[in-house]
Amino acid sequence: MLSIESLKAKIEEKEILKGLNLNINPGEVHAIMGPNGSGKSTLSNILSGKKGYEVNGKVTFEGENLLELETEERAHKGIFLAFQYPLEIPGVNTNTFLKTSINAIKKARGEKELDAIEFLKLIKQKSAELKFDEKILSRQLNVGFSGGEKKKNEILQMSILNPKLSILDETDSGLDIDALRIVSEGVNSLRNKENSFLIITHYQRLLDYIKPDFVHVLKNGQIIKSGDYELAKELEKVGYEDFN
Amino acid sequence: MENNIKLNFESYLNEKNFTSSQKEIKEINFDNFIKNGFPNRRIEDWKFSDLKKIITNNFENIDFSKKEAQLNIDENLIGDLEHNKITFINGAISNIDFSYENEDKIIVEQNLNLENELSKNTLLNLNTAFVSNYTKILVKKGYQFKKPLVLLNYLSRDLSNSGLNTRLDINLEDEASLNIINISNENLNNNFLNFRQKINIGKNSILKNYSLDINETSNIKYSFKDINLEKNSHLEYFILSKGSKFAKHDINCSLNDEYGSVVINGIIDLNDKKHHEIKTIINHNEENCKSYQLIKSVLNDGAKGVYQGKIYVNSKAQKTDGYQLSRALLLSNEVEFDAKPELEIYADDVKCSHGSTSGNIDENSIFYLMSRGLSYAQSKKLLTNGFLNEVIEKITNEDVKLLVKKLTGITE
Repeated sequence: MLSIESLKAKIEEKEILKGLNLNINPGEVHAIMGPNGSGKSTLSNILSGKKGYEVNGKVTFEGENLLELETEERAHKGIFLAFQYPLEIPGVNTNTFLKTSINAIKKARGEKELDAIEFLKLIKQKSAELKFDEKILSRQLNVGFSGGEKKKNEILQMSILNPKLSILDETDSGLDIDALRIVSEGVNSLRNKENSFLIITHYQRLLDYIKPDFVHVLKNGQIIKSGDYELAKELEKVGYEDFN
Repeated sequence: MENNIKLNFESYLNEKNFTSSQKEIKEINFDNFIKNGFPNRRIEDWKFSDLKKIITNNFENIDFSKKEAQLNIDENLIGDLEHNKITFINGAISNIDFSYENEDKIIVEQNLNLENELSKNTLLNLNTAFVSNYTKILVKKGYQFKKPLVLLNYLSRDLSNSGLNTRLDINLEDEASLNIINISNENLNNNFLNFRQKINIGKNSILKNYSLDINETSNIKYSFKDINLEKNSHLEYFILSKGSKFAKHDINCSLNDEYGSVVINGIIDLNDKKHHEIKTIINHNEENCKSYQLIKSVLNDGAKGVYQGKIYVNSKAQKTDGYQLSRALLLSNEVEFDAKPELEIYADDVKCSHGSTSGNIDENSIFYLMSRGLSYAQSKKLLTNGFLNEVIEKITNEDVKLLVKKLTGITE
């Protein structure tokens, strides 16, 4: 589904990714763990098409050259990034945003757009699943949301848009145990043979709830080791500093 | 141009049978206008909007002779909102409709005599020289309007390169309330419009004034409002400044007794080479009064926006609470935004603050929205609408709020 070959990325002359290779097949859950500054967020930004990076290498998504696509085209193809720091958008109602988003994607895929009733039904069902207070959705997007509410809102968006590849950028940071469980259940409910996940995290903790098929260690802009869930446990024990 | 205006003025005086004293007032004002002309940028109040230059660039000649309009207007500009209406056609009142109100509680007087005054503002001189149909609306003590009053300025389509001067006084006696919607129809021709209003808000009275400039026109518009508030009265003033080629809203507001309050919320939303200014002066003349101002501007293409806001606090006006904030989104490299906030404070126990920001749209927010499938244009629109919606949400008349959302296409 996603194939990354010798991906290099620079921002303002500083090289952050130094030849990264990664393959994700349909239905797989991959975790990338790494210390601060190892390039984790850069990787997720580049996969979602954020501007400002000088990118080299080859990235294909379902056979298509991903790097040529605009951010919104990647969303239309089924790539979703759950932000580490979801942005506050003053004056924009969360429901309006969600409806605009899902219909933009449906339209691009040539599917029928949702009317107000269908949309509300979907929202009701999804927010109940995520134990997400619907009242929050009539507020301005992420404005005045707690850290946990922002992250849950990301997962709600993910579950509504039902992407093929979900990238979770440190979704666990700032979450208490209860919120972590709810968020993880949300992710797990989307797991199936077709959908894949790339989970970026500092800690093993999240991986106790969302069991990955593969764990990769990112250090200095490269994946230095790959393994299964046991690798995460080992990392937690040894720490990034001494891990080679 | 000057000679033509002089000829216009002579024939105008001859046409009408003014009393000698009225004639004199008009002549003195006209002479003062001719002596000083349209205000230019050397005058501090016009520093950012050189009207003289704008007039020269847009008109070879302005025709101030009176335009009779025989049109029968039945144009619905505000949808299904229930309202009363005064229709002005080419500056003259053509229809008064108070069908939702008790007409015994409202007095409308027309063709009143002008008082003897000579303002330093040459546009007011010009207004006094040419104004016909000087009108006053009085809302009697204790009367609360049931539905908004729409002041519809209709310009006939044949009108071009003309100058129009109107004068309307609104007087709310004590314990009265009135909501006003100022709106104009579409007229693509070059005209110079000079609207003057004097408003008095009596004790415990409430006036809500909504000025909507939405239709695309090449008109050059100046609107002067002189507003006085008595004890415990309230003014809510909303401006949507969008359609005219040039518009300046000049608002002078005086809190003349205790516990008065003023809220001014404004939107300047411009494209092309439009140039709009909101200028306010709030005079806190007595204790315990409040004023709040929020002006948001979105500038595209080569547009120019200006906000000059002054809060004056008299030495008697202790416990004053004054606030003003201007925020501007600059969406192209060619736009210009000028802000001049001023606080002039002579009392020592006051709370006054002002702020002004201007900047580009936040690219991180754009990335966030695009990552959810929205195009760049959609994301930008959602962000700018959200930015402006914060001002629209402050409208306290729910029907008018809906109207403004409908007219602008800005919803949450």
